[in-house]
Amino acid sequence: MKDNVKSGALTEVTFFILLSVFTPKHGYAIMQFIEEKTKGRLVLGAGSLYGAINTLTEKGWIEPYGEGGRTKEYKITAEGRQIAEKELARLKELTATAAEIIGGGDPA
Amino acid sequence: MSIVKRRFFAGFMRSQERWLNSMADKGYRLVKTGKLEYTFDECEPGKYRYAVEYVGDKSMEDEEAYKAFLEDMGYTVFYKNINLDFSTAKLVYRPWANKGGRISTTGSTLFKELLIVEKENDGTEFRLHTEKEDRIEYYKRLSHPWYFAVFLCLALMVIYWPMVLPVVLFAGLTALFALPIIIMECRIHKIKKEKELEE
Repeated sequence: MKDNVKSGALTEVTFFILLSVFTPKHGYAIMQFIEEKTKGRLVLGAGSLYGAINTLTEKGWIEPYGEGGRTKEYKITAEGRQIAEKELARLKELTATAAEIIGGGDPA
Repeated sequence: MSIVKRRFFAGFMRSQERWLNSMADKGYRLVKTGKLEYTFDECEPGKYRYAVEYVGDKSMEDEEAYKAFLEDMGYTVFYKNINLDFSTAKLVYRPWANKGGRISTTGSTLFKELLIVEKENDGTEFRLHTEKEDRIEYYKRLSHPWYFAVFLCLALMVIYWPMVLPVVLFAGLTALFALPIIIMECRIHKIKKEKELEE
């Protein structure tokens, strides 16, 4: 999981995991969320997902949620929310620039 | 009806994976692992897929957390030993493990160096590590014990210098232990090249 520190760009997987846990989810549900939202284009292996969840927890962007039984749920933190909002703004800017040049959209 | 097969794959994880998948294709599903024995029950041919992962550098806590995570995914997980050893109580130091090495004992992580993960076949290839960065990390972890072995053999060569026989022996072992490192480095190099095109 290498998110570009300098430009602030997130990897697609990081961004999707952050989005998935706006409502608390356990590992399997995160995996399904990503598969569903990308219509199967992005299929994450369980080992890679486990590593990504641990990295994001260490960074404080997501955290374990509730006491729960054995199945651990995760939820986005305030910091994680900020990061996701920043990424959305960056992507909007990027698509606006792209639309201006390539056309096809009205960049307002 | 159960059948028992005896096999030993040591560190050849891909071979073990292929063999388990071919057993599943023939209609045999893994139900139990021993040091050498694999117990299978009959199942619908091709119903299950297997992946083998090295976890020998993880602490008992990390290993169990990872196993629990995989089980939450709906997978069945078996422990498997990577080496053959029939002692009943043993203690091993693993200097290559994360955070300054680990001591591994019977009853904790010894003989549980590998996880065999089973999932129901959904027609796609079963891979635990799909992300490039994560795969590089995994192959690095796999090469650490071999780096240590090479370093040890080189050190022994220096100690025995200039006695011909031990020096030749340890030089040979160095070359042998360097092979997995070369394989891992080649895999890492390939992934890094693929990555360059994307970013």
